[in-house]
Amino acid sequence: MEKRGTYQQYLNRFGWKCVAPSMVLFCVFMLYPILSSLYYVTRRWKGMTNTFIGLGNFVRMAHDQVFQAAIGHNFLFMFIQVPLMIFLALILAVLLNQGIRHFRGPIRLAIFLPSVTSLVVVSVLFRVLLQANGMLNNVLLGAHLISTPIGWLNDSGWAKVTIILAMTWRWTGYNMVFFLVGLQSIDTEIYEAAEVDGASKVRQFFNITIPLLVPVILFSAVTSTSGTMQLFDEPNILTWQGGPANATMTAALYIYRQAFFVNADFGYATAMSYIVVLISGIFAVVQMRLLGDRRSK
Amino acid sequence: MRKGLTLALALLAALALTVGTFTSCGKAMTNKVTVWCWDPNFNVYSMKQAAAVYNKAHPNVNIEIVDMAQDIEAKIISGLQANGAGLPDIALFQDFRIEQFLHDYPKAFVDLKAAGVDYTKFAPYKVGPMTVGNSIYGIPFDTGSTGLWLRTDYIKQAGLNPDDYYGKNLKWADIIKLGVAVKAKTGKPLLAYQSDNFDMLRIVVQSTGGQFFNPDGSLNLRSDAFKKSLALFKELNDKGLLYQVVGWSDWINAINSDQSAGFLNAIWMVGSVKSRPENKGKYMVIPTPLIEGVSGAANASNNGGSSWYVFSSSPNKARAVDFLKSVWATSTPDNLAFYNTILKGAGAMGTYLPSQSGSNYTAADDFFYKSQPVYKDFAAWMTNVPVLKYTPNYVPMRDAVAHATLNYFQGKLKSIDDTITAAEAEYKQVMGQ
Repeated sequence: MEKRGTYQQYLNRFGWKCVAPSMVLFCVFMLYPILSSLYYVTRRWKGMTNTFIGLGNFVRMAHDQVFQAAIGHNFLFMFIQVPLMIFLALILAVLLNQGIRHFRGPIRLAIFLPSVTSLVVVSVLFRVLLQANGMLNNVLLGAHLISTPIGWLNDSGWAKVTIILAMTWRWTGYNMVFFLVGLQSIDTEIYEAAEVDGASKVRQFFNITIPLLVPVILFSAVTSTSGTMQLFDEPNILTWQGGPANATMTAALYIYRQAFFVNADFGYATAMSYIVVLISGIFAVVQMRLLGDRRSK
Repeated sequence: MRKGLTLALALLAALALTVGTFTSCGKAMTNKVTVWCWDPNFNVYSMKQAAAVYNKAHPNVNIEIVDMAQDIEAKIISGLQANGAGLPDIALFQDFRIEQFLHDYPKAFVDLKAAGVDYTKFAPYKVGPMTVGNSIYGIPFDTGSTGLWLRTDYIKQAGLNPDDYYGKNLKWADIIKLGVAVKAKTGKPLLAYQSDNFDMLRIVVQSTGGQFFNPDGSLNLRSDAFKKSLALFKELNDKGLLYQVVGWSDWINAINSDQSAGFLNAIWMVGSVKSRPENKGKYMVIPTPLIEGVSGAANASNNGGSSWYVFSSSPNKARAVDFLKSVWATSTPDNLAFYNTILKGAGAMGTYLPSQSGSNYTAADDFFYKSQPVYKDFAAWMTNVPVLKYTPNYVPMRDAVAHATLNYFQGKLKSIDDTITAAEAEYKQVMGQ
């Protein structure tokens, strides 16, 4: 092993100096809150006063059916919306890459635009459209697809559908862009060889495109899953604080309401946050095991 | 060597920028007061009028009013947790929320009684929520005196005469008859109802002097007042007399787009009703209907209302207290004129008793049916409102009751007892009891 030259050492030190400010910010704004949350989580808070209760917050969580229902809603959205959205994004990406010849740019833009619009504006507008006498119901009634107006926001079942639709509308474009990039890296010769062998477009999609895009799908799946576990804005504004009657309450929204509106009990909110992070982590690991291993074969 | 110097200078510049930002934020201006509130047509407008009066005597004081719509409470809580960083000098709090803040952050507000405010001049029911022991913390602002707002044009369309109802102390049974007749002829439900919010239920329960909590702070949903109120709403819903919406803005929209023939709510709705010129001449307000079979029931109730509070962490608190005291709590001709102005301009009826003799309080308001002097009526009804304490746990109770009531209306819960049990269960789980 050669002795490291002074230039090497200089580069090393220079590198550390560059990284140092960012490390300091990371420690102060990310590491310190995480460590101090260990202090919060073992206490019952009420505004500025607190009492030590050990694991009492976790015991409370075991009895809190509202929180359990909220986690259930997160799972529901995750298991339905994430696969739906990824599949839709894949199909759109393939269509845009190979199928559609004209107006590619504008179509891409139109599909991507929802993910960069202000969430509050979107939610307010959707609320107007989804009223019982709003535009969507009027269109559906006029087309004779339904006979009575649907309670998109009033009915506990339809409210969940509304959230899934809103999330899909928003994030499909975002994931589609990743898939488009991934598609660029697939060699067209593979498709040509498959054509020669007589494979149909559908067969090519399922047997070539999807397996080769697995890394990108994995990325989308993991980020979408953790994003869905943290779902907050849509249930808060679109269905108004997890309504109707907690039908669309999600974990993040419940944590927020507990911390700021119900009890000012930051210890309980912290304990719930731990559980949400744990669940996100478990899902990420499971997905990486399932999808990541195949790649290394 | 040069690279190292450049790097050091870059770091220094970054540091200076950060520190500079922090210090310029903390630079205190002595003649400045910041006020946080919401609703530009009502609270912001009223505060601006008050600031104008104060500036007559103190022209060098800059009173900045910030309109915070959605998350004023979350921002305030963050500030309180940070020991006052980022908080304004004065903030508006709704009466049913302040008890939780006074309970959780006992040292965060300035004791205005100790600062010399004379509370005998304010309506007693407003002073209740802001009193803790011997200290009183806020300046009462608007009343939430309620009434039943009805569209006279729809009543006429139904073949009835609005004058039969005008100014009368009616019972809910009479109102239901009216609602059924109006629905039959015009198809309009009588009342717009915000199903995720239990204001209407609260109005009815509080018209009986009823409470949601026992004196010791424990939940009480089994009172006669509550059960009868719930039954009333079920009946209204079953007869199709409620136009249900979700969310506040949707409720306002329903009213101003003619989806219902009226609503049950407080005087502060005047601003929203007046904001739509087509409403002119169509609305009349009658006393809150009486709920039968409950002792202590009255034809008056209260919904909402807010008050101004000063934060003790504020560097400008002396100026803020002086402003509130000298404009809002002292009887001078300018101040009484101010209260008079905001009544006409925003429908903001203060609870400062000497101001209630102002000309606008008794004047006919030609925006309403037959130029009804609505303010005179609301002020008169206000005197019948029973005193209420909200307790710190009002919000989770409100949510639990609102959710259970919604499920009851949608048929998921079958009886009133089921509804009460469901509300109690949710309350216990959310509160961790």
